[in-house]
Amino acid sequence: MSTTTHPFSDELKARIKSFLTRYETKRSSILPILHAIQDEKDWISEDDVALLESEFDLSAVDVREVLTFYSMYRTSPPEPWRLEICNSISCWLMGSKKTLEAAERRIQEAKSRGEKLPFSCREVECLGLCGKGPVGFVNKERHENVTPERALQLMEEYSQKPLPAAAVRCAELQTGEGSASENPHSN
Amino acid sequence: MPLIKREYNGKSPEDFRLVLDFEGMENPQGIDAYKSKKGYEALTAVLKEKRKPDDLIQLVKDSGLRGRGGAGFPTGLKWGFVPKDAPEKYLLCNFDEGEPGTYKDRYITEISPHMLVEGMVISAYAFGAAKSYVYLRGEFYDEIGWTEKAIREAYDAGFLGENILGSGFTHHMDVYTGSGAYICGEETAMISSLEGKKGQPKLKPPFPAVAGYLGKPTVVNNVETLAVVPWIVRNGAEAYRAFGTEKSPGTKLFNLSGPVKNPGCFEVPLGYPLKRFIEEEGGGLLDGKKLKAVIPGGASAPVLTAEEVENITLDYECLQAAGSMLGSGAVIVIPEDVSMVDVLDNLMHFFKSESCGQCTPCREGTGWLGSMAHSLAAGHGQASDVERVAAIASQMAGKTICAFSDAAAGPAMSIVQKFPHEFQSRFG
Ligand SMILES: Cc1cc2nc3c(=O)[nH]c(=O)nc-3n(C[C@H](O)[C@H](O)[C@H](O)COP(=O)(O)O)c2cc1C
Ligand code: SF4
Ligand code: FES
Repeated sequence: MSTTTHPFSDELKARIKSFLTRYETKRSSILPILHAIQDEKDWISEDDVALLESEFDLSAVDVREVLTFYSMYRTSPPEPWRLEICNSISCWLMGSKKTLEAAERRIQEAKSRGEKLPFSCREVECLGLCGKGPVGFVNKERHENVTPERALQLMEEYSQKPLPAAAVRCAELQTGEGSASENPHSN
Repeated sequence: MPLIKREYNGKSPEDFRLVLDFEGMENPQGIDAYKSKKGYEALTAVLKEKRKPDDLIQLVKDSGLRGRGGAGFPTGLKWGFVPKDAPEKYLLCNFDEGEPGTYKDRYITEISPHMLVEGMVISAYAFGAAKSYVYLRGEFYDEIGWTEKAIREAYDAGFLGENILGSGFTHHMDVYTGSGAYICGEETAMISSLEGKKGQPKLKPPFPAVAGYLGKPTVVNNVETLAVVPWIVRNGAEAYRAFGTEKSPGTKLFNLSGPVKNPGCFEVPLGYPLKRFIEEEGGGLLDGKKLKAVIPGGASAPVLTAEEVENITLDYECLQAAGSMLGSGAVIVIPEDVSMVDVLDNLMHFFKSESCGQCTPCREGTGWLGSMAHSLAAGHGQASDVERVAAIASQMAGKTICAFSDAAAGPAMSIVQKFPHEFQSRFG
């Protein structure tokens, strides 16, 4: 780990501290703290878990229980932009499968040309906007009526944008002499 | 903005907009917009007039309000189960909204999050809770922001905090965010999640109203249930009962999805005809397609054929008698050109992915249903597989810690029983 970069910024440390006392028990702070870490670093490493134990006295066993149960936590470094398309029944009836296929095809085609797009695409369950399907997220931004054409257009639009701060931070910590890259927890 | 088009039971459509009356305001999430429509008047009256908590519980019992999260349990009755003398009690608002087809709770906070906050403070007063949480699913980024902002504004305006409006009643409220697990919508799983643990349901009894969050009495109510409480307090139980049926009083929000012309969130009196709802409010199917089937209450509700839909009314009793359920009020429309084999595949994939895995009949059952439905859809199945789907589904109901297993079995059973011919044409 490079000596100048602590994996948690001062701001993140302050947020973690405020969560620790916000609820009736300290344990309740685990879910929000993991969200906060992910907001800053894009994913949660085994080193982060160890740090939560050593610096903030949160049991690593308890933290891992949460980390593995909930699907929104990422335990390996993700792509900068993540397309998540709902394929539950209402969106599926509006053609979400085709949307997923179109986005996936675009990523694979680029790959076969030796080009790496800054996107991943996955199918998720109902996102709670079922009247406007197919519904999708790009990172934290929700989009409605994501037809295959719209999905490709979104990929185009996002590839023009500057990378999200968390993705930049994630890349920085990777390229430093990061112990993060030896993460045994990655999947 | 969807509106009911014609009068119903002698009432004009404008009359049933108890919740949706807040649609279309400028700066809809702000406290001023809410106050301009009698917002916080109910809470103010309750506290200034020093209404007896028991009278409020009785009022809600008399209104006949039933839980809008899916099970339809009488709300006043649930509040009455909370031990009076317990020193610490909690209210937990269920804003997990994960049932495919359902997007009404988020719509309530889009048009007026203060409706929920006011409803929660009144409810907490009725059974004596000093603290409440709104548990939102993690993907609801906007909704989390709206709810947090409404809570802050309510604190600033003196509707939350110590000694509210000088009444001696103190109540604090906070939000809590889940992280992508459908099962956390089940109330005991939600409590475990709020405690910072994995969200797995627990055996009941004890019911949360007696031993919930941190072992303390905890009432769990859905967003829509809580949001209508201020209206009932302002207008009285009789006024609420003027809508709906004898056993299913009041109005309810219904979400229409699938290929219809006008999908959306509508408020109708319970007992409203389903066919009329799809044709008039929904504007019928897209591209003039014919109706094949309807899922009336979210992905967990057994499927109805187009023929059955003719005589269905949207209330708890009618749908139960028809072998389905009102559930969360998510009406999902399936057109003639979609194969029910593929619908089964889609639904069972959902249940297979979301089972929490602690009960064998559910874990194994949803796993089997998922893979069998998939192989049937891929054209690798045979007649005996369809029989096995029914056999497995019949082994899953009523044997598990929570109702998820039944919720997976019901739709599977209904599809293989009502659409056997569609499977035959797909055998490999
Ligand atoms: C698998 C499962 C998922 C559920 N999901 C939700 C949900 O997303 N929202 C909700 O309000 N209730 C949900 N419920 C129902 C809750 O357990 C609980 O009954 C409800 O929140 C009580 O509130 P109410 O009485 O106001 O309806 C779910 C139940 C089960 C078994
Ligand atoms: S029925 Fe299924 S979801 Fe519910 S507790 Fe058992 S395994 Fe978990
Ligand atoms: S089914 Fe896709 S958002 Fe609900």
